[in-house]
Amino acid sequence: MKQHVMGVDFGSTTAKTVILDLNGNIVSHAVAHMGAVSGNGVKQSMKDALDAAGLTQADIGRTVSTGYGRRMLDEADKNYTEITCHARGAVAMVPGARLVIDIGGQDSKVISVDSNGLVSQFAMNDRCAAGTGKFLEVLARAMEIPLEDMGATALAAQEKLKISSMCATFAETEVISLLAEGHPKTDVLGAVHKAIASRTLGLVGRVGKKGPVVMTGGVANNPAAVHYIQEELQMPLILPDVPQIAGALGAALIGLDDYRAENRQLLISEAEDMAREEQMAADKACVPGCRGVPEFAVDPREKQPVPGKLKSLVGSLQKHF
Amino acid sequence: MERTQIIDSFAAAARDPLSYAKQWKARTGRPVIGSFPMNFPGELAHAAGALPMILQESDDPITVGHGLLFPFYCGYTRSMVDQAVRGDFDVLDAIMFGDHCVQLLGAADAIRMQLTNTRVIFFQLISSMCDPWTQGRSEESFAKLRAELEDFAGAKVQDEAMHASIRLFNKNRGLIRRLYDMRKKGIAPLGSVEMQHVVKSSMVMDKAEHTELLEKLVRIYDSAAPLPARNVRLHLSGHFCQAPKPELLEMIEQCGVTVVGDDLYHGFRYISTDVPEQGDPIAGLARWYMDRNTGVPCPTRVQNNVDWDAYLLNAMRDEKAEGMIVLMAKFCEPHMYYYPEVKEAFEKADMPHLLIETEHDGMALESLKTRVETFVEIVKHRQAA
Repeated sequence: MKQHVMGVDFGSTTAKTVILDLNGNIVSHAVAHMGAVSGNGVKQSMKDALDAAGLTQADIGRTVSTGYGRRMLDEADKNYTEITCHARGAVAMVPGARLVIDIGGQDSKVISVDSNGLVSQFAMNDRCAAGTGKFLEVLARAMEIPLEDMGATALAAQEKLKISSMCATFAETEVISLLAEGHPKTDVLGAVHKAIASRTLGLVGRVGKKGPVVMTGGVANNPAAVHYIQEELQMPLILPDVPQIAGALGAALIGLDDYRAENRQLLISEAEDMAREEQMAADKACVPGCRGVPEFAVDPREKQPVPGKLKSLVGSLQKHF
Repeated sequence: MERTQIIDSFAAAARDPLSYAKQWKARTGRPVIGSFPMNFPGELAHAAGALPMILQESDDPITVGHGLLFPFYCGYTRSMVDQAVRGDFDVLDAIMFGDHCVQLLGAADAIRMQLTNTRVIFFQLISSMCDPWTQGRSEESFAKLRAELEDFAGAKVQDEAMHASIRLFNKNRGLIRRLYDMRKKGIAPLGSVEMQHVVKSSMVMDKAEHTELLEKLVRIYDSAAPLPARNVRLHLSGHFCQAPKPELLEMIEQCGVTVVGDDLYHGFRYISTDVPEQGDPIAGLARWYMDRNTGVPCPTRVQNNVDWDAYLLNAMRDEKAEGMIVLMAKFCEPHMYYYPEVKEAFEKADMPHLLIETEHDGMALESLKTRVETFVEIVKHRQAA
């Protein structure tokens, strides 16, 4: 039996891989930024994770994929949606979480989860890339600022401006107008992040606000997004150490459940094996205390012949043979 | 005749109803009467010698019709107006309008202004279904409609002709209900697009021709054994005037779903109820109109002793459905107003459901697929728990 399982999140802008041992411990993980639903990105993240664990694909007992490209991964034995996987991964990272906010490259979703990490309700952006990483990417380009610097810059906002359009293209026009009016980049970026937070609050409203709330996905690495969402929600957000890998972790955990269930008989320890044999022997015994040896006619506790009918039955059998 | 050939015949009429009408008219030399959904008694037009045809939303994008209706009208009404302005309805000798909602009324006015040479018949049906005068008022409406049709046809519509039409329409409905039952039991593995073709073509085709094909189709499944199914069993609800887009239905089934029942207008809602075959045919049609709302409740009608949500939960128990997908057309006001009650009832009954809003101008199917797949995963987890 193989000793590891793999979860792969084939996302729209990044690929994430998590490898677990059979006890559910993370052995390695990798994130590759290779562009939209890139086959190369996925291969790279899988290779990085395997190399870091000192394993090859042949050592992996079960591979589960998720994300937009989940159906495109040849190595995957099964695939699940990113909603199911993010919920499972987020609850594994933050036990007790009841709401998961995941903002990824091209979609944002709010997932209400039960105590087992199973999805009870969900809502996702259904118009366009409104309120997603793509929205930030488009506006970063319009404002000529590196994507990774957006968050820190936005945190320095002083004046509260408003961007009313959630369409990335129309919002770009608004941003350019605000800059043309002389507003500093910090304030405009603050408004951009506030717009994402309002959109997220709308999704939260659709599934019901409750806590603790975990934020996953690439946008969780943006401090301004986290700040404004917390402000809108009026609740703290819990951020896992590596929020991007929640989906891949969830996929790996689902794969682990599956693999363990399929190989249940191979997974028992030596002590469990002994205990099971003893139990089976006890179950087979036709008299109390018998351990399945041919002394079935004698009660081993008393070393006395069994009285009554059983004794006569034994006697007649002995005569026969 | 093979199953595929029969389904293909239904599909051809369902995909292009107006071409079917042209061919039928050329073949028979008789008039075609188009009607708005959902309560027009086709039996009356049939008895008057015409081809009754429920007008269907077109797949084409709305173009010139934009000049007459606002974009916040539903896709069905906008498409109706667009087809009228483009001249697609030239094949129709008359159009019959009903008054189910404000949007249909608006579309009727716009079409009336455009098709000045087409006979327009407008009739109102009482929407309050449980008043002591409901039956009487319905009879008045149907009698008025009969008089208008007689005027249009230039001849009396005899009771005998109406009884014959009622019997034919009942037979057609009964055969489709048998297919539904066979599908529920796993005997007739008809996909939801195929089922839509069956029902939609019944709204369009000559009823005798359609019934003959249906009889052949039912015979094919008559001796079939139930097939084992491992998919999640779901009920499809909603979508009144317009048929859900086939690509949406296909996508839902690709997510590991078997649709075991529906209350779509282009589905079980259309064929749920028969017209009494005895007695005065107008009184029978009025009875049918009232019974339809208890057969499959409609949010455009008001009936205190009938709940659509309770009907849905009962139907799903009967179908052994494990969840429901609600297809809500934008901007179908009756559905939008009623949906909160369905949602509340389903949450109270702990029955999973997923709401999908549909649009005339295309949908982000890939994103919708993620939502449907997640819903299927939720239902499966519930089964396993």
